[in-house]
Amino acid sequence: MTDSLNQPKNFSGADSYVLDEELAKVVNVAMRLELPLLLKGEPGTGKTLLAHAIAQNLDMPLIVLNVKSSMKAVEALYQYDTLTRLNDSRFGDSKRDVSNIENYIKMGKIGQAFTSDCRVVLLLDEIDKADSDFQDDLLDVLDAMQFDIVEIDKTVTARRRPIIIITSNAKKDLSDPFLGRCVFHHIAFPDQDMMRKIIKAHFPDLADKVAQVAIEAFYQLRQIRGIEKKPATRELIHWIRAMVGDPDFKVKELKTGVSAPLLGLLFKKSDDLDRAKKTVAAGMRQ
Amino acid sequence: MFQDFFYKLRDFGIPVRPTDFIRLQGALAEGLILNLQDFYVVARSVLIKSEKHFDKYDRIFAHHFQGADLDEAFADELGMDIEEMLAKWLQDPQNFPGLTDEEREALKKMDPDELMKYFQDRLKDQTKRHDGGNRWIGTGGRSPVGHGGFFPGGMRVGGSPGSRSAVKVAMDRRYIDYSDGGMLTPEKIGEALEKLKHMKRRGPKDQLNIDKTIRETVRQGGEIELVFDRRLVDKLKIMLFLDNGGWSMTPYVPMTRSLFTLARSQFKDVRFFYFHNCIYDVVWEDPMRYHKPVKMADILRREPETRVIIVGDASMSPFELNHTRGAIDYGSLQTTSGLSWLRRIKQTFAHTVWINPMPAEEWDYSYGSFTVGLIREQIPMYEMSIKGLEGAVEELMSKYPRPPAPEPKPEPYRPNRW
Repeated sequence: MTDSLNQPKNFSGADSYVLDEELAKVVNVAMRLELPLLLKGEPGTGKTLLAHAIAQNLDMPLIVLNVKSSMKAVEALYQYDTLTRLNDSRFGDSKRDVSNIENYIKMGKIGQAFTSDCRVVLLLDEIDKADSDFQDDLLDVLDAMQFDIVEIDKTVTARRRPIIIITSNAKKDLSDPFLGRCVFHHIAFPDQDMMRKIIKAHFPDLADKVAQVAIEAFYQLRQIRGIEKKPATRELIHWIRAMVGDPDFKVKELKTGVSAPLLGLLFKKSDDLDRAKKTVAAGMRQ
Repeated sequence: MFQDFFYKLRDFGIPVRPTDFIRLQGALAEGLILNLQDFYVVARSVLIKSEKHFDKYDRIFAHHFQGADLDEAFADELGMDIEEMLAKWLQDPQNFPGLTDEEREALKKMDPDELMKYFQDRLKDQTKRHDGGNRWIGTGGRSPVGHGGFFPGGMRVGGSPGSRSAVKVAMDRRYIDYSDGGMLTPEKIGEALEKLKHMKRRGPKDQLNIDKTIRETVRQGGEIELVFDRRLVDKLKIMLFLDNGGWSMTPYVPMTRSLFTLARSQFKDVRFFYFHNCIYDVVWEDPMRYHKPVKMADILRREPETRVIIVGDASMSPFELNHTRGAIDYGSLQTTSGLSWLRRIKQTFAHTVWINPMPAEEWDYSYGSFTVGLIREQIPMYEMSIKGLEGAVEELMSKYPRPPAPEPKPEPYRPNRW
């Protein structure tokens, strides 16, 4: 397990996160009711970013658990480093006391969140990836805010109840009892007004006109029939960043539909890309 | 407080939990809910756990809390969107979803002016009816100019609904896209197929087995002995059989096609076969059903753990299914009826399901109801919807798949006396 400090710092801060009022309310409800907040929504609509934004906003450290498909719940809580202990007992050249198992217990992400001195934001990212056993095992832990380390018969209780954000990519419904312990919100795809605000937050220096043209083009491209993976906010932001950085980019051409550059940034599947290119080309001929 | 609302949600089939209701009371006590807008958001986030139910929630909310500002909200709503709605509707009035056939016919005959008038009339009518409030749920979506019907595919996102009344937001029906009865989209098929997994230890030996390592090390008196296990690998094998012949399958082609594309991308070991109407002694690997015939007898020799998915409408004449020479376009000598082949498949591959693109409610009444019934006795059949696919996947992964019905005894020979 890596330290939480080693998390990739690829978010651009709470300043660039546009919170809609509904979502803000839901976040507050979850915090006040002390329930985990379960977020669902299309990929790229800012589920993960929200946790970063909350952490920044409330000035709390963020601990991220990136759930993997093969993950066991215990791994998220703690790890008993048997191998090191075995090694120490065999060669005896470490300063650790081999007879004290506690020296070989490493806290997992949830364990770190529980034992942290200050209140933290705990993000369980893409919980749907793991099987339902994982979710069921976490239920009691998140409910009681404590877990047992069986090896040393010790109970770890959360010092300060963390704010828990759980994201799911809507791949499958989570188990019923798990849902019963969460506050739920579905992040809908933003409409054009909202999107303008989001773009403004990400590109404060971008001329309104350019943003407007790009957003309009983006929503039109999203409408193309038969697209399997529709581009989301994330793709739009990348697209605009790339276009703005491109010296050949002419707003007028995008506006009049003469060309739509860098479509590969919006459409990640080759079929989708072909289709989008064809549609744009057909639009030009008209 | 709000018990009526809670029970109404329950009555309309949203699985709301009493504990969540108590939590909602807690939120009220905490002072988190100061107005109806707050209540709309908080109650939804606490009570409703899936976006599938958001649309229903919106409708029930609008219905329940149609307070003093409902009329006003609606007047506004209509005023605001009227141009947009009109433009959308005029583009293609006949094909607007939710029209009855008669209405469609009538619309075809109208000229643009008449269309416009019709639209406005319906709009007035609609406003009147909406004032009644109560019938809104019942009629939503049916009328060509009704609210629900108006945004059939388009999920209107309210963005920041702060300045608008909660009822109005609810009436937006922003979540219509996600409701359960919605169309089967590629994503949804993907979700359903996601559950098909069969993990087995087959990969390289690169996972440390701690228990065994300790045991072995102790056994060797402290000399460390590392024991590695093979990695878990998804070893699921799938065979997909698709009925791609005949007019009866034509309406379902796009849906079936996306099912296939997804199956191909999701599973490593998946093989596709094509047949016409029913499976006989030969199926084909090419969609043309010409170049690459494969003998069923060979297929039956594959691993019995293989999952078999048959996609077809199961609608054919009883002769094609029951008679030993039932194949309508394969010339060779048949000795086994289609039904027996299906039975054999199910016997060999215990995990076999039939996915029928025809909605389940039509199975008993459609052209093919007789053969559908016969096939269902042998192979569990599911409709091609989210629910159906989930059921099919469950059956495919179940430890105790349903056995086929016993072979019907051959009819005793009764010479025709007349």
